[in-house]
Amino acid sequence: MSQQERGTPDTQAPTDRGGPYVGTPIIMATVRVVMPFVFTFGLFVMFHGADSSGGGFQGGVIVGTVVLMLGIAFGIEATREWIGSRLPVALVGVGVLAFLFTGIGSVLLGAGFLDYSVYAEIGVPKASKYGIEFVELAIGVIVAGIVTGLFFAIAAGFDGGESA
Amino acid sequence: MTPLELALLVLVLGAAVATAALRSVLSSVVAFGAYSLGIAIIWVFLRAPDVGLTEAAVGAGIMTVLFLLTIVKTEHPDVERTFERIDVRAAGVAVALVLVLSTTLFALPAVGDANSAVADDDVTEYYLENAYEETQVNNAVTAVLAAYRGFDTMGEAAVVYSAGVGLLVVLDREVFG
Repeated sequence: MSQQERGTPDTQAPTDRGGPYVGTPIIMATVRVVMPFVFTFGLFVMFHGADSSGGGFQGGVIVGTVVLMLGIAFGIEATREWIGSRLPVALVGVGVLAFLFTGIGSVLLGAGFLDYSVYAEIGVPKASKYGIEFVELAIGVIVAGIVTGLFFAIAAGFDGGESA
Repeated sequence: MTPLELALLVLVLGAAVATAALRSVLSSVVAFGAYSLGIAIIWVFLRAPDVGLTEAAVGAGIMTVLFLLTIVKTEHPDVERTFERIDVRAAGVAVALVLVLSTTLFALPAVGDANSAVADDDVTEYYLENAYEETQVNNAVTAVLAAYRGFDTMGEAAVVYSAGVGLLVVLDREVFG
């Protein structure tokens, strides 16, 4: 992953019109070191929300922050090309559908909407706990996708002229 | 109130006033980030770490970056004065509104009051006693959000989805078309 980005900042930084986000070695090195920890922390907050404070919303925002850091360090356009402009929106849709089908699935199994405990019947261990964590993951995916998409959209501006 | 809490309140109030009064937009954004961070710490003091985490991540983190990205796109002329010239009448209206709203403060229970509705309400008791057996998660906040009020949370997810996708379409249809 870092191999791809290593080449981009030199070509990216000077062309940014008036932006303050000129790639500097300090920011790039810091982001490269900090990024995996922030990403892990985001996933921790998302998954461990069942047992400590946190949850999908907070974890999703922190995971989204990783993309923001990459954008600021290595150039927003380069990061968007690497991630793909459709992926964030696709993630948001997938997250909402996953949440929805979790609810519909429990109805199909004969229980109430979002009644996680019924998933034990099809062999999910600790159905209620893992059902809740799956939903938290879906929320996290939605929020991370929205944060990333907003970041790219605002950075690209209203006219969309410089979007690649 | 401990000195630490007092210092936090002073920080938050000072940052809020600075956000409104600073003339440079960049300074205002930075002051707003400091304000959000102070509010996040206050949430932790009030035993609401879930909310504090959200405020720190969204208010102090993401919003600051999005504001900065936005003001990059705007003209920011050189600022000769540090502070905005205060409009006395507008400031008077703002202070009056704050005073009127402050009258409701006396109706709130003290922090940690054992007799407040938060502590001895039947619904609260039910969640605290039954959340683990019924949902198998230790964090009662998560149990309420994802299990007891799961339908509400799904509505929130749908709101985030529609608001976000709508905003993306309005902002930049070329990128996401």
